[in-house]
Amino acid sequence: MSKKPRVLLAMSGGVDSSAAAALLVEQGYDVVGVTMQVWDYSANQCDIESGNGTCCSSIDVDDARAVCDVLGIPFYVINCESKFKETVIDDFVGSYLEGRTPIPCVNCNTFLKFDHLVKKMYELDCDYLATGHYAKVGASTKTGAPVIITSRDDWKDQTYFLFTIKPEIVPKLLFPVGDWEKPKLRSYAEEKGLPVAKKKDSTGICFIGKNDYKDFVEAHSTADDMRPGLLRRFSDGRILGEHEGIHRFTYGQRKGLGVFDEKPLYVVKIDPETHDVFLGYEEHLYSNEVVVRDPHFLDQVDVGDELRVKIRFQHKGATAKVVEKKEGRMVFQFTEPQRSVTPGQAAVMYRDQQLVGGAWIV
Amino acid sequence: MKTQAFTLTQENIIYLDHNATTPLAQSVFDSIPEWSRHWGNPSSIHLAGRGPKSVLRDARKQFADLIGSHPLELIFTSGGSESNNLAIQGVLHALQTGQLKAAKIEGRKKLLYSAVEHPSVVQAMQLAARLGFDVQTIPVLRCGRIDMEALKSLLDESVALVSVMYANNETGNIYPVREIADLVHGVGALFHCDMVQALGKAEFNIKELDVDFASFSAHKFYALKGCGVLFCRTGLVLESLIQGGGQERGRRAGTENILAIAALAKMSEYKSDILKHLGEMKVLRDDLEAQMKARIEGVLINGEQSARLPNTTSAIIPGVDGESLLMNLDLKGFAVSTGAACSSGNPEPSPVLLAMGLSRAEAQSSLRVGLGWGTTKEQIDAFVEALVEVTNRLRSLDQEGQYV
Repeated sequence: MSKKPRVLLAMSGGVDSSAAAALLVEQGYDVVGVTMQVWDYSANQCDIESGNGTCCSSIDVDDARAVCDVLGIPFYVINCESKFKETVIDDFVGSYLEGRTPIPCVNCNTFLKFDHLVKKMYELDCDYLATGHYAKVGASTKTGAPVIITSRDDWKDQTYFLFTIKPEIVPKLLFPVGDWEKPKLRSYAEEKGLPVAKKKDSTGICFIGKNDYKDFVEAHSTADDMRPGLLRRFSDGRILGEHEGIHRFTYGQRKGLGVFDEKPLYVVKIDPETHDVFLGYEEHLYSNEVVVRDPHFLDQVDVGDELRVKIRFQHKGATAKVVEKKEGRMVFQFTEPQRSVTPGQAAVMYRDQQLVGGAWIV
Repeated sequence: MKTQAFTLTQENIIYLDHNATTPLAQSVFDSIPEWSRHWGNPSSIHLAGRGPKSVLRDARKQFADLIGSHPLELIFTSGGSESNNLAIQGVLHALQTGQLKAAKIEGRKKLLYSAVEHPSVVQAMQLAARLGFDVQTIPVLRCGRIDMEALKSLLDESVALVSVMYANNETGNIYPVREIADLVHGVGALFHCDMVQALGKAEFNIKELDVDFASFSAHKFYALKGCGVLFCRTGLVLESLIQGGGQERGRRAGTENILAIAALAKMSEYKSDILKHLGEMKVLRDDLEAQMKARIEGVLINGEQSARLPNTTSAIIPGVDGESLLMNLDLKGFAVSTGAACSSGNPEPSPVLLAMGLSRAEAQSSLRVGLGWGTTKEQIDAFVEALVEVTNRLRSLDQEGQYV
């Protein structure tokens, strides 16, 4: 009797990872479901209403457990609260306070899903680690080695959040829903009798939900942390007003600026040193190049390479050439100027459908 | 009078977590349809109420015989947590309303509890602190003994109530209840003892222990969940936690859970078997610990030097994360725990072990094994094999330092 390969599946209690569990069971894996409890919901006013659809809520832990019960597979809650606080929450708050717009999901993947859970995978004698991400593991066109490629459902593709995965872990990864389109996956979940089939999609950041991120940042910092400053016109530096803190702004923001000009104004620059927020017109939003730091590579990338680069999750990706690459810094030159290149977001590199790396926009 | 030899309802796992809950006795399981026929309200005067009323009366008598109390000293509750709360909060309320004049503790503001109590005692005491009482903890030593010198220095004539458990749910350590009761009574205070872990794991007589209040739980004794008992020494008045009808002589309102009460009482039939089970469990537990020490390097048994229940092992397995150990054993079909079941999923290491002076790392590498009346030598041997295998694997991963 050959032993079934065992998979550790990260479950959020949502449709995607629940369907992933059913798919893995169907494919003959010995599946162990885990949910990382990452945030003390009880202390953070997540109620039943707002908690629904956010991965931080206990309701979602219950949902994941209910799915495992239906499928007859073991389920565990792994507590990651302190690690989540240190690596995700503190960075999230700190980034906003320094004028950047963070992507907490990447840090959660870097330090929890594809680090802590990799450790758990080995500890629980599992052969693979699976998640409900819309991504695929395919074969490299050059070497045939396992690489991460974009999902079939282009609109859902989540490889943007996966660029910090260590290449040596890729052969251990399974993304069961990567070949599925969301509506079909939902029908599949329903067919399988999974109690989450009709659950709403989670949107935004799990620990923010429908709340305002600004309130969260303020609730997790002190009055001394606030960086109030001036609103200035980008073209001439003229003072247009004052603001209560740079964390309240993000590049490309148009609403809630409180000042008016003959043309619509946008945040085009935040100066973390002087705390000035520069407001400009549509034309000031565009950049030809992007400078990034701390790159992660899943494949070889060299100066002169032409890649597709996504500068935010919803960005379609634009052709860019690597013009500089040294000492934890890279510069990309875009073929077409790109709107709102935002510090704190990631520039993620693709060669065709293959995820080859990513780095943080400065 | 025993109607059936003790056996358990079928289990498909090797269950070694009897301090969390116990499987159901086969005789209890078999009797459920019969008890369920007594659906009437025991408070009713008509015929339908008589059956359940007599079940309740018989149950009270049987359980009283088991622990050595008078039947009217028993209050049936929903479980151990409620019993603990009823004792502590019941005394608080009675103090505030002056009903405890008979106990001569009016005006006293100090409450003491040991540092290793169950959360239901800890939280009830913390509630008292918020209400303005002077609440203090009695330290427990690393060896597992309660710090009697500290207790003596905390005791004075301002103390109203002291709560110390009979045996600890995590380490199995037994505390000197009679000695503590004498000290507590020496300053005129009341003494509550959480005896939830005592049923089926110790021989005792409540009168000899000389406690004023004692808590019990049915589901730790092969009976059903949803039933507990508070022993309340005759003559003491408690304010009910649940206001309502006059059930349980006005000390616990609500229609009685006849089914679960009958199930607990049924277990009293096995009183004469208890000593035999204690001996059997101790042999197996000692064998388990000997095997663990022989085959797993660095194993330490918490509270080993002090008096312990014969069924409990709390072991530190250095270099192994308790959470992973537990999951691995579960995947192999063995049910054990890292600490109290009520705190599972809690990231913090066991407060009980920390209170005994273990480091966080030691507490996080701890494993609790709780044997029961149905545990066999084969189960212990199979468990040791699995434990050794998992421990070696986790330790080798840890030594590699890198997982990829």
